[in-house]
Formats: sequence, C-alpha cells, structure tokens
Amino acid sequence: MIKLEQVTKKYGATVAVNGLSLEVNEGEVCVLIGPSGCGKTTTLRMINRLIEPTSGRILVNGKDTSQVKPEQLRRSIGYAIQSVGLFPHLTVATNIATVPELLHWDKTRIARRVEELLTLVGLSPAEYAGKYPSQLSGGEAQRIGVARALAADPPILLMDEPFGAVDPLTRERLQAQFVAIQQELKKTVILVTHDLDEAIRLADLIAIMAAGKLVQYDTPETTLSRPASKFVHDFVGSDRALKRLSRISVESFIKSAPTVTINASIKQAEAAIGSRRSAWVVDDKGQLLGWIDRTDLSQVSSISEGMVTLESKDIALWQNATLREALSRMLGQGFKSIPVVDEDTKLIGEVTLGDVEAATAEAEE
Amino acid sequence: MMVRQWVTGNSVAVTGSCLGLLSLPFGWLTLKASRLTAGTSLRLWDAFSWGVAAAIIVLWLLCLALSLAERDKRHAITIGITANAILILTFIFAGPAANRLTATGAEFARVSLSAGVWVTVAAVYMLVFAARQSLPDYRVWQNLISWTGLAAVVILLFTGWLNNISVVQEFLGRESRFQQELVKHIFLFGGSVIAGTIIGIPLGIWAARNRRAERPIFYFANITQTIPSLALFGLLIAPLSALSFAFPVLREFGIRGVGAAPALIALIIYSLLPIVRNTFVGLRQLDPAVIDAGLGMGMSRPQVFRRLEVPLAAPLVLEGVRTASVQAVGLTAVAALIGAGGLGWFVFQGLGQAAPDLIILGAIPIIVLALFVDAVMRTIVRVSTPKGLATGTS
Ligand SMILES: Nc1ncnc2c1ncn2[C@@H]1O[C@H](COP(=O)(O)OP(=O)(O)OP(=O)(O)O)[C@@H](O)[C@H]1O
Ligand SMILES: [Mg+2]
Repeated sequence: MIKLEQVTKKYGATVAVNGLSLEVNEGEVCVLIGPSGCGKTTTLRMINRLIEPTSGRILVNGKDTSQVKPEQLRRSIGYAIQSVGLFPHLTVATNIATVPELLHWDKTRIARRVEELLTLVGLSPAEYAGKYPSQLSGGEAQRIGVARALAADPPILLMDEPFGAVDPLTRERLQAQFVAIQQELKKTVILVTHDLDEAIRLADLIAIMAAGKLVQYDTPETTLSRPASKFVHDFVGSDRALKRLSRISVESFIKSAPTVTINASIKQAEAAIGSRRSAWVVDDKGQLLGWIDRTDLSQVSSISEGMVTLESKDIALWQNATLREALSRMLGQGFKSIPVVDEDTKLIGEVTLGDVEAATAEAEE
Repeated sequence: MMVRQWVTGNSVAVTGSCLGLLSLPFGWLTLKASRLTAGTSLRLWDAFSWGVAAAIIVLWLLCLALSLAERDKRHAITIGITANAILILTFIFAGPAANRLTATGAEFARVSLSAGVWVTVAAVYMLVFAARQSLPDYRVWQNLISWTGLAAVVILLFTGWLNNISVVQEFLGRESRFQQELVKHIFLFGGSVIAGTIIGIPLGIWAARNRRAERPIFYFANITQTIPSLALFGLLIAPLSALSFAFPVLREFGIRGVGAAPALIALIIYSLLPIVRNTFVGLRQLDPAVIDAGLGMGMSRPQVFRRLEVPLAAPLVLEGVRTASVQAVGLTAVAALIGAGGLGWFVFQGLGQAAPDLIILGAIPIIVLALFVDAVMRTIVRVSTPKGLATGTS
C-alpha cells in the first residue's frame, strides 16, 4: 500500500532522512519511533508531499507519488498533525468537514458524516458540533483532529503524535479507542510517537529510526525479544517483559468476581463470598460501590455498614485496558485483584495478580 | 473591607465631575459688540437663569456622588445619562440666551460660547468615556450614552435653535463653503485610506511571505512615519511642481506642487505603515500548524489563503485600516496648509484672522468626524472577527 524506496531528505548539510526503505501493507499499523530529530515527521510529510524528497521514490497503491498532484494525493490521505492545528475560526463540525467540502460532497452527506465521526471518537454530536476549538480541552481537540483526518474515509492515515499533548489517563483512553476504531475501519496507518508503550500497544509493525535511518522494522514481539542492535536494545530498555504486557488486553483474563448487591442480606452475602476472602459490592444497577471482607460480615447488621467504599474511576479498569495497566494498578493499590468495568461503569468481573504473573512469565520466554 | 472601599468608585468619572463643577465660575457666554471687539463675559447664572444654573449644579453633584459610589451597571448608566442631560440642557438654554442677548445688544452684536461651555463639554465626555468603560458588555447602553447628547446638539443646530451663536453665524455665512470643504475633507481622507489599503495590504502580504522584502518595506514605512506631516507635505511640493512643469498635461489632472495631489500622496504614505504593519503581523502571527493542517488536508495555496489566512488575519488588518483612517482625518486638516482644502481651511483662516469662532467651526467637525469614523471602523472590525476568535468564547 505504501512503499518508500531509498528515500533521502537533506537540508543543506543536515541529512534529515537517510536512504530509508519501508513498506506498509494494507490494513496495517506501522509506528515510527525514535529519538527527537531522527526524521519521523520528515518521513511522514514526504509521503503526502508536504516535503519533497531529495532522492528516492515513494509509492502509494503502486503509484509514484511524484506523478500525482499534491492536493489530490493529500485529499486521499488523512493527516493528523503533531500540534493538532484545528482551524480556530471554524466550528468543530466545519473543521471535520474540511476534506468532504474540498471534495464537494453534498450538505446532507457531510452533516451525516460529521455526526458519525463525532460519535466514533466518543464525543456527543449535539454538544460538540457547534463548539469552537478554543472551547475544547487538549484531549477533545486531538480527537477532533483525528476525526477530521478520517472525514473523507481515506484508506491511508498519517498521524504525527496524535495523542502527544494529553495527560496519561486521557492518552490511555484515546489509545484504547484507537485500537477499537482500527479494528473496525482497518485503515493503513503510519503513526509517529515518542512513547514506546504506545508503539507496542498500537503497532502491527514498529519502525525504529535513528539519525534518519531505519534501524529495525519488526513486529512488537520480535522487536522486544530480539533487538537487532545495541541501540535498539538500549532503546527498548530492560523491562521488556513488562512492556510486552502492553500488547495484551485484560479482556481475556476477566474472571467472574464474587459480587453482592448493597441491599442483600448478610446471609446472601456469606453465600456469595463462599470461602473467598472478600467480595465486591455493587448497587442495584450493577455499578461498583466498594468491597467487603468475609471476616467483617459476622460483626455487622447490613452490607453498607461493613463495606469499604471505593471511587470506581480510581480503582476499576476499563475492559479495553492492558495487562500492564492492571499490574501497575495492583502494585499501586496493593490489591491482589482489580475490578473491571464496562463503558457504563458496570462491574463485569475482576483480574487477579496470579493471572497477570502467569502472563508475564509466558511473555518472558 | 478597607480594600473594597477603595475599589468602588470610578476615578475618571470623579475627575470628570470635578471638572464639570469647576466650569461654573468661568464665563459661559461672551457678548461682543462686533466680531472684532473685546466682549463682556457672562457667568452661568447671568447667561441662563438661576433656576437653570441650580439644575446644572445639582446634576453635577449627582454625577460626583454616583462616581464616588459607583459599584454596578446601574450607577454607570445613570452617570452616562446625567452627563448627556447636562450637555443637552446647556445647549437648549444657550440658544434662547443668545437670542435674548443679541436682541438687546447693538446691531452687529455677537454671542459666543466661552470657557465654561467648553469645559462642560470636555467634562461631559470624560463621564461618557468613564461610563462606557464600566459597561463593556452593554453595547446598546454604550452607544446611547455616547451618541445621544451629540445627536441632540446636531438636531438643535439643524432646527436653527442655536442660530444666534457666533460659531453658527460663521457657519451660516459660509454654508456652501463649509459643505464644499467637508466633502473635500472626506474625499481626501477617504481616498487616501482606500488607496493606502489597496497598496498596503499587498505590501504587508509580500513582507510576511518574503523575508528579504520585509526589511526594506518596513524601513520605508517607518521612516515616513517619523517625518513631521507638514515637512512631508512640503517635501512633495518641489518634485510635483517640477513634474507638472515638465509635463504640463499633468496639470489637467490637478497634479501641481500645491493642492490635492501632494496632499493625497502624503496622506497615502502615512496610511501605509499601520496597514502594512497589521497585515504583516496578522499573517505572521498565524499558528503555522493551522496552515500546515490546511495544506495537509489537500487545500491548494489559494484555498489556504482564502479559507484560512484571510478570515484569520482580517480583524488585525481592519484594525490597521481603522488606525490609518482616524489618523488620516486629523492629518487631512494639516493638508489645508498646502492648499488642499478640507476642514483645516477654516482652522488656518481662523488662526490668521484671530477669529476663534472660525477655528472652532473647523475643529469641532474634524473631531466629530474622527470619532464617527472610529466608531464605524470599530463596528466593522467587530463584525468581521470570526466568532471562534472573539474574546469571551472560551
Ligand atoms: N525545514 C527544515 N530546515 C532544516 N532542517 C530541518 C527542517 N525540518 C527538519 N529539519 C531537521 O531534520 C531533522 C529531522 O526533523 P524531524 O522534524 O523529522 O524530526 P522528528 O523525528 O519528527 O523529531 P520530533 O520527535 O522532535 O518531532 C532534525 O534534525 C531537524 O532539525
Ligand atoms: Mg516530529
């Protein structure tokens, strides 16, 4: 789908990109990663001809891009830039509609598409369509940036640190959302990042760059288990096993958890806990409220009296979270098991430390 | 609580109110036997009546009290309304007072407005300014407060209510001349600003796009701004007269050393700096990421210009045009000195004949014209500012 052949870009004496060859197949996510200034942005911008290579060839769909009109090429390639770059004088809806408008879609189709995309990136169309960029938080702006890049449904997506400027928690959500969206849309994506965990989580293939050159191009698993050089070895660091956990979703590790509703009788609760040490407490809608110890049950008259309350959003994992997050949550809270909730914060089960350890050992091999 | 005490009150309005009260001991009207003789000065209570004087004093005291206490929107509105009332009262009673005095005086007797009235006008507009500043979110009130008094005085002028006041008599004696100079003034400043805009915007774009053009363009624009206006007008006389001597045909188009041609050229040159500078800044301050995103989405260069650069830079560019316009209204007055005409003609005639009324006949319309142009341009700037950029949306 995208093929770079011996591409070089020089700025005077500086060689920003040096003889880079790279191939990304349809539907794959290729993540470019490397130290600052190693030529990631330059590489990305040569693909949509915002920068012309000094030498070498770039093929998109087998066609040499230098033979395609730049505007036409760019309208078929979604581009989310490093600093978002929303148009401040236009509403969120108009921002998203940029490429469809350039392509002269009719109004109703554009309106429908905008609504679809806002929903896709998890923002309510009714609330956000009419807002201006200055009224958005950093995370919201980045999501609009991604929605704008997706607007005309381009088969190819170039993303330059799309989740760079947000706090770690938001970034995690956006990454999970990206994985979900990509599973559905199957775009060919080249994504730039500084963050190795992000690369491991999102990539089908990781391209590690240094000083304008490609130093390793492999799946995340291979990159972690068989670094091609000392540079890559140092770059991926010593906690490689831990990093691999970033690729594993908690979803397949969720076990049913002992659960009691808050209005249940002590007897019902004892039955639910059985021989286990504790149970999660939920309200009648299934939302997590806290937990209760078996030993406390005999000393209280109601569940609410013996319950330890929890802030669900601080403790619980989202079902799309990775095992790495599960582990860090367990270590941070000193819990042997962590509750998992769905999008409506309903308790759906738990993940235990034993399972995470087993997965770590397996990844070690 | 002490701090709060100091924060309430409006210092500009307090100063204005005190200035208003200070106007009272001055003479308000001057009665002269003829245009050139010295006159007798009449105090507020002699010129009008004790009742009117008392009313004006009470209104000023009310303004002072409200200014000291000003805490909310209603206080500011009341101050603005009261100030306008003082202005209107002054002129409503000045008309009949002038009629009465001229009727009793000699045949060529003239009644002119003196220091008391002018100080009152200044004080009133200080209060108007202060009230406006206190009401940033109430545009309707701002406009009412700013323009009601002036509109009332203009209506009084047109109905003939003030016909026996000397400035108006100067006007009545020169009505067609006044209209002619007013039109000339508007033509000179309007034409120069339009031409300055047509030349200045492309220069600003060029300077913003081309680092090599930037320096010479600003060198030229800055240096012209430092030449005193009269000197620039004078400097243009020699080359233009030489030109018209060499090519007499040019004279048919009005190109001579003196007159409208050098004035227009000088005024255009003065308009350039604010327009070029603001166009330049308007384009350079754009977030490069925005332009980058536009190109990256597949906009062509002209589309980036039309859809992104123009709307985003427009408020600043128009702000430059506003500065240039207000400045040009004032500078056009000086152009009268090289025979270009305009309202400045009355000012310089008045200075030459030591006739203050004639000076005022030129000066006041110039001030009103500048304020009017400023208000119109501010509205244009506001309307052309895209909603997402306006302050207060975030
Ligand atoms: N227009 C330019 N003129 C000169 N040098 C440039 C230009 N653009 C980039 N470079 C240089 O090329 C190299 C690669 O830049 P590039 O922006 O591709 O890095 P990057 O990997 O995206 O870095 P970062 O992670 O900081 O975004 C850098 O050394 C940079 O200084
Ligand atoms: Mg970069």
